[in-house]
Amino acid sequence: MAKPAQTKPLNEKTVEENILSSRDYKYGFYTDIEMDRMPKGLNEEIICLISEKKKEPEWMRDGRLKAYRHWLTMEEPHWGNFQYGPLDYQAISYYSAPKNAREGRKSLDEVDPELLRAFEKLGIPLAEQKRLAGVAVDAVFDSVSVGTTHQSELAKFGVIFCSMSEAIQNHPELVREYMGSVVPYTDNFFAALNSAVFSDGSFCYIPKGVRCPLELSTYFRINAAESGQFERTLIIAEEGSYVSYLEGCTAPMRDENQLHAAVVELMAMDNAEIKYSTVQNWYAGDKDGRGGIYNFVTKRGKCAGRRSKISWTQVEAGSAITWKYPGCILQGDDSIGEFYSVALTNHRMQADTGTKMIHIGKRTKSTVISKGISTDESNNNYRGLIRILPSAEGARNFSQCDSMLVGNRCRANTFPCIEVKNNTAVLEHEASTSRINAEQIFYLMSRGLDSEGAVSLIVNGFCKEVFKELPMEFSVEAVRLLEMKLEGSVG
Amino acid sequence: MTLFTEKDTAMTSPNTALEFVNHVGMLSESLNKEGAPGWLKAMRRQGLSRLKELPWPSVRDEEWKYTDISPLTASVYALSTSAQLREKEAFLDYGNGDDINIVFVNGFFSKDLSNMQAVPSGVVAMPLQDMEETSAASFQELFSKENLKGEDAFIALNEALVRHGIYIAMDENVILRQLIHIVHITSTTGEMILTAPRTFLRLGRSSEVTILESHVSFLDDNLYFADALTDIFLGENAVLHYCKAQKESLKAYHIGITRVRQDRNSVFDGFSLAAGGALTRHDLHVTVNGEGANARLNGFYSVSGSQHVDNHTCVDHCVPQGTSNQLYKGILQGSGRAVFNGKILVRPIAQKTNSYQLNKNLLLGKDCRVDTKPQLEIFADDVKCTHGATIGQLNEDEIFYLQTRCIPRKTAVKLLVRGFADDLLNTVHNPSVYQKLNKLLEPAFEALECTG
Repeated sequence: MAKPAQTKPLNEKTVEENILSSRDYKYGFYTDIEMDRMPKGLNEEIICLISEKKKEPEWMRDGRLKAYRHWLTMEEPHWGNFQYGPLDYQAISYYSAPKNAREGRKSLDEVDPELLRAFEKLGIPLAEQKRLAGVAVDAVFDSVSVGTTHQSELAKFGVIFCSMSEAIQNHPELVREYMGSVVPYTDNFFAALNSAVFSDGSFCYIPKGVRCPLELSTYFRINAAESGQFERTLIIAEEGSYVSYLEGCTAPMRDENQLHAAVVELMAMDNAEIKYSTVQNWYAGDKDGRGGIYNFVTKRGKCAGRRSKISWTQVEAGSAITWKYPGCILQGDDSIGEFYSVALTNHRMQADTGTKMIHIGKRTKSTVISKGISTDESNNNYRGLIRILPSAEGARNFSQCDSMLVGNRCRANTFPCIEVKNNTAVLEHEASTSRINAEQIFYLMSRGLDSEGAVSLIVNGFCKEVFKELPMEFSVEAVRLLEMKLEGSVG
Repeated sequence: MTLFTEKDTAMTSPNTALEFVNHVGMLSESLNKEGAPGWLKAMRRQGLSRLKELPWPSVRDEEWKYTDISPLTASVYALSTSAQLREKEAFLDYGNGDDINIVFVNGFFSKDLSNMQAVPSGVVAMPLQDMEETSAASFQELFSKENLKGEDAFIALNEALVRHGIYIAMDENVILRQLIHIVHITSTTGEMILTAPRTFLRLGRSSEVTILESHVSFLDDNLYFADALTDIFLGENAVLHYCKAQKESLKAYHIGITRVRQDRNSVFDGFSLAAGGALTRHDLHVTVNGEGANARLNGFYSVSGSQHVDNHTCVDHCVPQGTSNQLYKGILQGSGRAVFNGKILVRPIAQKTNSYQLNKNLLLGKDCRVDTKPQLEIFADDVKCTHGATIGQLNEDEIFYLQTRCIPRKTAVKLLVRGFADDLLNTVHNPSVYQKLNKLLEPAFEALECTG
């Protein structure tokens, strides 16, 4: 039976709304650790300093400066359907890392125990004995990667999984060839900024014919105040290989807004498959919209080879503003692009997310499934682009975007764009927006569920199509994350 | 920044747009030297000053992203001087003597071709240029009450150049079975003319009427520009079956704007056909401003050769319990291009709104192109809104099936395309309108390409 809702005054909010107002942010703690950070501000000196600190070769430094000079000529975009105050790029410290995070140590166990404790608290044990079985983790803390697990095991298969800094040192030829080939520094304002100041990130290389034996994952943590995170991820899947990559992120609770401008590039050769999953849970600000992360990310995959496949799955549950469009360039014939997304917004969160599918090769296929749940005073947008170029004979696309509204102060918008320049293309697009079904809630409650359980069950069912695309461990985590966000004060 | 904006390859150069606006200013001033009621002259002056203030649209604007209007501004237009209809036979074949015909030739009201005497009592049909200050004041008042301002360059352009137009008002409880057919014909003149057809429709409480507005030219090598503007006010419980049929000459430019305001429980049953013109655009803006109002927006477009058609619809649900239904279908042949942009806006108080939208495209031509952008902007929670879009070809299995029944491929294709169109055309209940739409579409069906 439902517990009586009268135990707490409900004010003007409905029961459902209360259920959906999230409880305190579980990952909002701050780790007090000695940091090595650069002064605030952005100029060529800072960029050279970052490059020097990372002992980068000359070509990398020149690349950064080129991107920076181009960035100076660009204007900050404002076409997204959300509001935010002006960003002061000179008030951000572009590099902040835990002292001696990586230098001069041989194994992960030598990492500052305070850091290990911080990750353990986040549910990511890095120490040898406690590691997650079957998942290799690269842990990124502010501007640097503090450790990567299972590296030697992966090396047996020829899989390279390391931080971007290491990759630049140890595999410069690969980095030089592929970095910027999918997202060039000229792509957009935030990609240019990232190309100039990126500090770390993950690098994966799967050689020909290898099916990566472990799930690869990166955990991003912003800790320092008045800083931003600018990481760069590059995944290359050679012919016939397969990799599943996961990404998770959290940040402490603060009143200031922090910028997270990452770039993710995926490259899939003939018959290769990359599965990229994100569970994004950055701090979203309090219920009045103070603080939170601005998540302005550029993610793109290129299906360069024939019959290659890239699949994006995202669960967006955090960030004050989420502004990203993971996309696929379907260049190889018969290549496949997929996009599965769940975006949950509450309080005053704003999300403008969706995908971009560019069909170039013959018989390319794409599937887009997007689910948006909007509660409180939040603003949830789906924006998508499906473009069929004249060369894409027999291209096929299916898109579906559904929005669920909870409460009468939230907003849900959809802005799909379909551009077809080939007459053999077949496309279907459908979208719907509706309120959470009161009859369904009533039915479940009449079967003994409380209102919280009922809402949770309905929302889970609504998102099922996307959750089933996530790897097992993450699927469980995503369901739990959503439940936590939906947990309210009733009962 | 560049994420969703296409590279501006063909922008309207500000210079030609500026020259065009200046030229329109000249035309408007010379128009004001002709004899006309004072209110009309004042409207032109206002329109002109707004036209000069408003930014001229270019492909950099989201609303005009897929439609490049620079060829339109590149020509120098003149005001028409002749009201003579040369293709009278073709007109008589198209028009129907049983309807109430209101005919404009090259922008001039033609008394001879119209049969205003057939207008029954309870219905007022008056050419704008004959309206006195006092009777014009009544609908101008309506404009200020509804807060209708022309925030669009083409509305301002129409107002700056409005010459002749029609005002139709239905009294309360009048139900008219006869079709009112407003025809705008552009006849051969040898000049590139710019016309600004203007229509006001006002339906009183519980009245009902069917109105067809045709924009036609019976010759396909006529180059001209028509900038049409229609305003529709539906009173409480009124029912309007409105159809806009556009088959301009294949070289002509047509920009049409239709604004609809709906009061409580009124029904707007709209149909839009776009079959002609080199570059055409139709903006249909429906404001559901009374509870329980119902809007139906259907449309059909057919392009071939290098035609470009752009349909923009916007349904603005301002009050609770409104419903709207949109179905737009199109066939594309040759290297024709079609744009569809449908917006459903549900304001915060518009609870219990049901709004549906569907756009279907049939690609038959080799180089045709479709850009479709259905949009939902929802600020209320207790709503049901859906939209959908499909783009595809004829089903080969269906063609094969018909061929096994001894039907030649060409006929089979025609049959299937007709089926695709009939689904929509059959929603037009008035037989006279249905017949006219078929007449306009027949050439497109006859010219169906048969590939494969």
